[in-house]
Parts: sequence; C-alpha cells; structure tokens
Amino acid sequence: MTPLIEAVKLSKQFGGGGVFGFGARPVRALNEVTLSIARGEAVGLVGESGSGKSTMGRVMLGLTPASSGSVRLDGVDIASLRGKETRRLRQRMQLVFQDPYSSLDPRRRISAQIADGLLAHGLARPADIADRVAALLAQVGLPPAHAQRYPHEFSGGQRQRIGIARALAVDPEFLVADEPVSALDVSVQAQVLTLLADLRARLGLAMLFISHDLPVVRSLCDRVVVLYLGRVMEEGPAAEVFRHPRHPYTRALLSAAPNIDPGRRRRRILLRGDPPSPANPPSGCVFRTRCAWAVEACATAVPALAEAVRGHRVACLRVEDAALLGDPDINGPV
Amino acid sequence: MWVVRRIGVAFVLVWIVASIVFLAIRMVPGDPAEIMLSQGGVSPDAAIIAELRDQLGLEKSIWVQYRDSMRGMLKGDLGVSLTDQASVARQVFTRLPRTLELIGFAALFSVLFGVPLGLLAALRRGGWLDRVVMALSGLSLAVPVFVVGTLLVLVVAQWLEWLPAGGYTPLARDPARHFAQMVMPALTIASSLAPVLLSMTRASVIDVITRDHVRTARAKGASPPRVVLRHVLRNALMPVVTVLALHLGTLLGGTVLVEYVFNYPGLSGLLVDSVNARDYPMVQGVVLVISVLFVALNLAMDLIYGVLDPRVRRA
Amino acid sequence: MRRISTLPVVAVGLIAFVALVVPWLGLPDPVQIDVPHRLSGPSWDHWLGRDEVGRDILSRLLWGARSSLTVALFSAVIACLVGTTLGVLGGFLGGLVDLATIRLADIVLCFPPLLLALLVVTLLGPGASTLIPVIALVYMPGFVRVAYAGVLGVRHLEYVEAQRALGVGSARIMLRTVLPNISGPVMVQFSLAMASAVVLESGLSFLGLGVVPPAPSWGLMIGAARSTMAQTPLPLLWPCIALTITVLSMNALCDAVRSAVDPHGAVPRRLRWLLPPLPSGLSLAAKGASLAVRDLEVAIDAKDAEVRPVRGVSWEVAPGETLAIVGESGSGKSLSGLAVLGLLPLVARPAAGAALFEGRDLLRLDEPALRHLRGADIAMVFQDPMSSLNPVHRIGTQITEAILVHRSVSRRRAWQEAVELLAKVGIPDAARRARSFPHELSGGMRQRAMIAMAIANRPKLLIADEPTTALDVTIQAQVLELLAGLKAEEGMGVVFITHALPVVAEIADRVMVMYAGEVVEQGPVAEIFARPLHPYTAALLRSAPPEDGSLPQAIPGTVPLPQHLPPGCAFAPRCAHRQAACEATHPALEDVGPDRVTRCLRWRDMSATAQTQQVTA
Repeated sequence: MTPLIEAVKLSKQFGGGGVFGFGARPVRALNEVTLSIARGEAVGLVGESGSGKSTMGRVMLGLTPASSGSVRLDGVDIASLRGKETRRLRQRMQLVFQDPYSSLDPRRRISAQIADGLLAHGLARPADIADRVAALLAQVGLPPAHAQRYPHEFSGGQRQRIGIARALAVDPEFLVADEPVSALDVSVQAQVLTLLADLRARLGLAMLFISHDLPVVRSLCDRVVVLYLGRVMEEGPAAEVFRHPRHPYTRALLSAAPNIDPGRRRRRILLRGDPPSPANPPSGCVFRTRCAWAVEACATAVPALAEAVRGHRVACLRVEDAALLGDPDINGPV
Repeated sequence: MWVVRRIGVAFVLVWIVASIVFLAIRMVPGDPAEIMLSQGGVSPDAAIIAELRDQLGLEKSIWVQYRDSMRGMLKGDLGVSLTDQASVARQVFTRLPRTLELIGFAALFSVLFGVPLGLLAALRRGGWLDRVVMALSGLSLAVPVFVVGTLLVLVVAQWLEWLPAGGYTPLARDPARHFAQMVMPALTIASSLAPVLLSMTRASVIDVITRDHVRTARAKGASPPRVVLRHVLRNALMPVVTVLALHLGTLLGGTVLVEYVFNYPGLSGLLVDSVNARDYPMVQGVVLVISVLFVALNLAMDLIYGVLDPRVRRA
Repeated sequence: MRRISTLPVVAVGLIAFVALVVPWLGLPDPVQIDVPHRLSGPSWDHWLGRDEVGRDILSRLLWGARSSLTVALFSAVIACLVGTTLGVLGGFLGGLVDLATIRLADIVLCFPPLLLALLVVTLLGPGASTLIPVIALVYMPGFVRVAYAGVLGVRHLEYVEAQRALGVGSARIMLRTVLPNISGPVMVQFSLAMASAVVLESGLSFLGLGVVPPAPSWGLMIGAARSTMAQTPLPLLWPCIALTITVLSMNALCDAVRSAVDPHGAVPRRLRWLLPPLPSGLSLAAKGASLAVRDLEVAIDAKDAEVRPVRGVSWEVAPGETLAIVGESGSGKSLSGLAVLGLLPLVARPAAGAALFEGRDLLRLDEPALRHLRGADIAMVFQDPMSSLNPVHRIGTQITEAILVHRSVSRRRAWQEAVELLAKVGIPDAARRARSFPHELSGGMRQRAMIAMAIANRPKLLIADEPTTALDVTIQAQVLELLAGLKAEEGMGVVFITHALPVVAEIADRVMVMYAGEVVEQGPVAEIFARPLHPYTAALLRSAPPEDGSLPQAIPGTVPLPQHLPPGCAFAPRCAHRQAACEATHPALEDVGPDRVTRCLRWRDMSATAQTQQVTA
C-alpha cells in the first residue's frame, strides 16, 4: 500500500555561496532523511534544537524546496508539480504553527483568516462562507458567535484552536503540527492535544507531530522518529520506542526527561558537552561526540538505519552489542 | 575581514557617484566655453568658442573624457579648473580642511550637548527636567539652520558684539579670532543635530534600562552609577551612533547654508560658485571629495559601531 | 493603532487651511512693489509692515505659506508613492529587483540631501517644476528603506507563512497583509518627509535657488531681509517666526503619528531605584528559616486601576532546602521571586507584606543595604540567559564584576576566580571561554555562566526563575544536576520557580502551588504529589501526559486575569468539585497537617477521594 506521503532521502541545506567567497558555511539542516506516513497515521518527529525537525515539516509541505531527495504525495513527486497542481497540493496538506501569538494576523478578524483557505481554493460560495466558518469553529470547540472577533481577544489555547480550524478549512488529508502545544501552559496543552486526537480519529487525518516533548508525542502518535542533527537515529512504533529505546541518544533523551513518579524514574544518562554546530557536523555518526558508547568505528562510517526488531529501526553500529541492550538499569523498570 | 569588505563597498559607491556626476553635469544645458566667453554680456563668435572648447579638451569624445577623468582621479589629479586654469585639487584641498574643521566642531558640540542631556532626561523621565529638555530640544530642531545662523548673527554679532559676524582667519595668523569665528557656525549646525542625538539617546536609554541584562546587573548588587555607565550606556549608544551616521547628510548639508550665512570660505561655497559657472572639472572635483568625505564618515561610524557591538564583527 | 493627540493635528490643520484659502482672503498683492514705502513698520493697512521693496509682509507671509506647503506636499506624496512601491516590490519579489532598488536608494543617500538638491536645481534652473521632483528624489530613499524593511519584517511572520501554506496568491498577500502592516512606518516617514521638505525648500529659496522671485517664500523673505536686518529686524523676524511655528507643528505631528503607530505599552513614568517606604507592621521572627516571606502583595498600576497579581503569599526556605514555586502563566510566581530582591519590573511595586532575611525585612531595607545583599547573600538566576547577559561584555568580565562589587580583591585574582567558577559549573576550556562574548556560547553554556555568576560570592540563598525552561531536555538535565551538586556542596537554600511539575518532583523538597496570584497549596513534595488536597494541584498532576501513553486530562477554561477575578474561589469556574459555597466565599488558607496548607473548602473530600485513587503520574 503506498503511503500517503513519503520523504525519500531528503536533504536540506541553508546558506553557502555568497559573494567573493565571503558567504557563510552551508548548514545541513537535514541529511538523507527517509520517512513515510500512511493514511490516517500519526507520526511523531522528535528532536531538540538543531535537529532539523521544523525544517522537515516545511520541506514535506513544499513550503521550502529540498536541496536533494524528494517528497512524494501519493507517489507523485511534489517538486514536479506545476501551476494548478501546486495549488491542489496546498489543499491536501496543511500546517499548524507553534506560536499562537504570531500565527494569526492581529489586524484581521478570525473569520476572515479561517476563510482564507476556502476562498483561495474556491471551496465554498461566498454566501456559504459564514456557515462553513461557524461549523469549523464548532468543530474545534469554540463558540461560533465569536467569529467576528480579533485574535487578541482570545487566549493562547483558543488561538491555537483557531489555527487548527484555519488548517482544517481546506479539508486536508495530511496535517503537520509544528510544536503546536509547546508555547501553551500545561493545563491548556492537554486541551489542544485532546482536540487533535479527536479530530484525527473523526476525520482520518494523517499527521506529522513535531515536538521536543517525548511524553506528549507518545500520547498522540502511532510511530515516532527521533532526529539528531538532521539524521534519523531511531524509528519505530511509539510504545515500543518508549519502552525499549535502542539508540544511545533516544535513551539519553528519555532518561533526561524529569518524571513525577519517583518509582518510574530512569537512571539518568547525562550527555557530555553541547550539541555540535550544524555547520560543522562530526564525521561518521553525528552523535558520536556525546555518546558514552562511541568507538573508533563510529567516526568513519555513517551508520545506516537497520531493523533491529520488526518495525523498529535504529542507526547505530553498536545496537547489537549485548552490553548496551542487556543493562536493565538503562532500560528502565518496565 | 569585515573591515576590508566595508572599505571595498565604499570604494565602489564613490566610483558610481563620480560617474553619475560626470554624466549628469555634461547632460545639462549650458556650454562652459560659451559661458566663460559671455562674461561681458557679449555674444562670442562661434569659431572662438570652438577653439576654447578644443583647448579645454571639451572636443574629445565622451568616453575619452570619462577615461581621462577617472584615471586622473585615481592619481589624485582632479584636473584643472575651466575658469582660471588653476589646479582643481589644490583649490579643493585648500578649502577642504576648513569645512572639515567646521564639521568637526559641529559634531563635537552636538555630542557634548545631546548625549549627556539625553541621558539625564531619560533617567529623570517624566519629571520637569525631562519636559524642559525635550521642549528646548524640539524648538532647536524646528528652527531651520539658516534661521538660527541669521538670528545668531543679528543678536550675537550685531547687537551684542560678542563674536565676529563671519569670515575666516587661518589658525596660524590669529588663533583667538580663528576659533571665535568658528563658534557661531559650529553651534548653528549643532542646533539641528544635537536635538536628534538627544532624543535618540533618551529613547535608547529608556529602552535599555528595561532590558533583562540590566536587571541581572542590579541582581549582582551593582550600584546605580555603575549600572548606568557599564551596562546601560554602552548598549544605548549603539543606536545613537547609527543615527549620527544617518544624519551626516544633515551635517554636510548644513555646511552649505552656514558657510553662506557666515561667509565661511569652505568647500560648499566653492561648489555653488563652480556649478554656476559650469566649471565641469571643479564641480566634479568638489562632488567627488564631498562624496568621499560622506562615505568615509559613514565608514567611520560603521567601524565605531563594530567596536561598540562585538556581535557585528562576525557579520 | 492608538489615537493621535489633537494639538499638533489642529495646529497643522490650521496652517494648511490658511494656506488653502489665501486667494480668497482679500490680501494686498504680494508682488506689488512700492519702493517709496519700503521697510515701513506695521500699520493698519499693512499689519506686519512692508519689506525691502515695499511689498506687504503679511500678504507675502501667507502666500509664502501656500507655496512652501504646496511644494512640500507634492514632493512628499511623489516620494511616498514611488519610494514605497519600489521598496515593496524589492522586498517582496527579491532577487534582481531587490538589489536594484536598494542599491539605487543607497546611491542617492550617498550624497547629502541639500547638496544633491542644490546641484540639480542649479543645473536645471530653479522653480517649482524642478524643485518638486528634486525634493521628491531626495526623500525617496527613505521610503524605499522603510517599505523594504517593513516587507522583509512581515514576510517572515508566521501568519504570512500560513497564508502561503493555505495557497493564497502573492498579490493578495501583499495587498491584504503586507501593505496594512507597513502603513504605520510609512505614515511616520511621510510626516517626516513633509516636515523636512518644508525646511529644504526654504533653505534652497534662502540661497536663491528655490522658488523663483518675485513669488513669495519664507526662505526667500529671510534671505532678502538679511541685508537690511541691522536697520529693521522686523522683516526678518516675521518669516522666521512663521517658519519656526510651522516646522514645530509639523514635527509635533510627526511625533504624534509615531507614538500612535508604535505605542510603547506601559512605560513607567518614573525610574525608581528605591522602593517606596511601606507602613511598618509585622515583625515575626523567622523560625530557623533563611528567608521567610509573609503576606506578600505586589501591585501593578494599570491605566485606570491598580491590579494585584500577587496576593497574600507566604513561604519559607530553610538553609540547604529547595522550595519550588509552581504555577502557570498568570500565577504570579515570577513576581513573587523578584519582589524579594527588589527587582520587580518598573511598573510593579510591593504593596504589602514582609520578607525576613537574617532578622531584616528586605521589603523595608533601603536600596544601598539591599544592594549589599544582592549577588552576595542572595543571588538570582533568570530564565533567558541570552537576554540576561550583557551582549557587549565578555562573560569573564561579567563574573568578575559580580565579585568586585562585593569584595575587594585584585582584578587579577577576581579573573582567576571567575575562571575557576566557570570550570566548576562544567564549562570546558574555561580559561578561553571566559574571554568569549555571550553570543558565542550555546544556550546551556550561557545558563551555566549565569549560575557561575550567581554563586561567585557563595550566597546563602539562590532564587532561580525558570532557569531551565528555555533549554533542551538533555541540557536541562545537565543544569539540574549541576544545581543539585552545588546545593549539596554549599548548603545553599534554593527557591526554584517553574511551571513544570516533573522538574519539581525531581529537585525540590517542598513545593508551593500558585494559581491566579494566590497560594493554593503548600507542603512537602512527596506528600503533595501523592495526596494533592487542592483540585488545581490534582488537575495539574493529571494534565501531564501519563507514562502509559494515554492522553493527558485537560482542565477546561483558562486562568482568570487579575482584573477579572471571580468572586469566591479563583479556581471555581474550572473546578470539577465546585459547589455553591465555593463560588460565594473566597476560601482562606487552612492548615491541614504539619507543614501543609491548602486553600480549598472541600479539602476533606479531596483527601478522601485521593486515598481511593492512584495518581497516575
């Protein structure tokens, strides 16, 4: 079954060039990332700053062109589309932003902003627009009567819902949510997450959920992809990756997250030093400079994503190493 | 590295300006030879005009003239004046230091008045001192430079007789009079620049004082004078330098009117005269020097900015 | 956009109106020469007297207004239309158009405006028809720059990106979003251009290169009156005054437009270094605590009323203990911490309460005494290390400053100590790093440097305001580990302000939960997390995603603003356990056990429920 959307060896580079050689060094935000999402599937993209996760979202939507590799929607390379077909593309895939305060135009009423998509694609007759907007607002849990208000009259959580309504207006099949709850208070985060889960179930949306917050990703997604400095470190079913993380980075990430229940805390693996600059990545495995298990071989070859257990793939030379897997402390109590 | 790049860009800009001036002045109606020969109100003979033109090198093709001009500029030779055959460079460089001196004093007065008063107004924001300073500053800015100059001449020179009304005495000959003659013109130019610096300083200080790193400095237990000087001022001065750079045009432009009002024999006066006479080489020379001056001053501002703000040095 | 203050608008409007109706005022002919009566003083026929060739000054003054303002208006309009269009096209289309427009603007700006105008006018001849295009040319780059910068600024805004993602066309985006967004700065630029154009035109006329005589212009009048100013200063003064008043009004209008377009929010009226004196009151001894805060209230003076974002907050920290203050946005947790050290933002002030430290009330100490304590006995670490560090000083310098302010050691010794501190907080290659600027370090290292600065003088108490919120998870873990280590070593008391409950569980001994400016629960961490006695605490615990992968539970509604607090319990509108009593009376803090307080009328019911329920963490 062809996946709905697929990224094949996607690379994205920023900068480089410049006049008289005075330009900045090129920064590789993404390096040969392969990722596929089936209809109705929610995939979580996890990484810290500099991992390239936000770039990934935008490249997959076609908002930024890839430097190499391709993004295929239903098997068709989106870069090959022209004119009206690119328009159609915009209708099938949508984006929800992180910052609820800057993602809405402060000078326009929310009804106008939600209707933007409807008008751009001719999805509703002018007479029907008000009704469509009201229906969308109801769908995200906001009173339709508030349609004529301005963004500053809403709270952060409510604005985020408006952003979701705006994205849903065009009836997309695929939604990229770029850290949609990171800027919200904890109690409000749960509201938006519940909404997203709900919408996904009802509308059958495929979703790419980008976040740095692991527990949040786990609660919403079927599969999770862990990104570090533009490369995939680990990939697999969400529950599996969280219970049995195999890549040293994923382990460190999971162990670093503070946990309320002392009984469930993992022994903390502290990463050494700071993440390297994306302009100057380490040779071989990009994680090796901070990895407690790195050996010489890690510097020479880039480890490939290999299947460790069915559906669960890891990019680490030492993944088979018994010493890593067998240590019960590192794996956590479950 | 970044210094080299800035200097390179500056050179290119100057060259473009010089070329534009070269073309512009030649496209304008009025033939220099004809004007020169028409001084007495007599209409000269066509043959004589042609001969003069040939002599002055005006018969050569435009490309040749351009090439000669540019080449000469690089060598520092700005040609000879069409009016009196004297070296353009010599005339220009005699007058240049006088204008520079005037600008220097004007800038000095502007900074001396503008920055401390702006700082004071910011620290006493909302109080009577602030309001008085801002009102005076607004008034000073509103009165055009030539009005200030003219009124100063009227009041200080003619009524009170404290200072000479204008003119110029070389420093060597009579230092006291030299400086006395400089005071009013410099203050006049400063009257339009100081208020700008003042309000920028004030706004910038108010902005910086609310920033997080100032709070950190206070959290360390630093005393107010220390906080103001080390943490506020240096960060606050950066936009002020930018504004100063933006208003260099005011400074240089101000010299035109002020040199006129105070009979100060500077570069700007030379420009007016030579344009009237269609003295191509002279105009070109003066314009070139003025634009080099302008670009150089901008460059100096950029460099100062780089010293103040280490983040710029990377760019 | 705010409203523009009326005075400048009225002034300029009046002047413009006069200029407009001049032809119908029945004034004497402004160009009519009458040499025998030259320089005569004011009279009934000629209110302001006559000029050097006998023309009526008042008439010339008013007609001059007309010509000056006309020239200025036309130039400004042309400059605005052409410049803004070029700037918008360049900014939006990018590429070659971008390069061409910006470089062109730069070249024009390469030459001082007056000189440029002078050059062109002299070459092409004076008169309004050359004057207007020239002045327009001079001010065009300003508009190009402003429009260009505005477009660039807007182009990357998320809501513009959203429109592109929705498939809205470029032209539509430019018209509906970009243009309205740059209208503000363009308007400011327009008012500036008009005011400057008036001055430029009069300057040129003064030099004889502006409006062609005998047509009147203020500059021309001033220039002409110069020659006779020794004899009769009046013909000089009238146009000077007229010009000054006009420019003054126009400048005032510029300022008014600028503040309407770019309001600066609640800028404090006075810069306050000293806390205002509080009425003397409580003198409770702190029982063995390093710091004891009692009934703290913070007030913010908003436009019409006073708001209290912190009300009746009390807490204590013992030496070597970590107290976490937990709350979401609007809870007042940060303000509580800042108030103690007298570091509240300038719009806020402590309104009531006491903060006892070693027998002294910090809220009633004078500034020099408080300064003595800041950075020495009590230190603070802030949330955003990039903005909290001075960008123009090296970090070594900033650390040595913390040392030198409180101790008299040599500069060299202080630097050595600074390097040692940097090494202690885990910064590799400390000696070299000490010479770096903040922007050269990563976020984690900056925060470590801030911590180094805070512990430089071995404080007894460290107040950390969300120190790890802006950091990545793995870096956060490092910093938390660092803080735990330092605490153990130095025996510091720590007040850790955060919004993340899991962090609290890991590092704190005791916790204080705040909601909408009040304390709702306080006590030992383990107990509170095991048996929360306030519905908000319980709901907060449930809203973190649980370990088994199920969805977290949401709390409906939002936090109330301090201006709109509900009567009764602040949390009642969102509380699943609310009853009528909760919405009627405002609950007080109750002692519910040794070292535990809660602010809930129904805490006993909560306790019962909690015992039969596992809190799924």
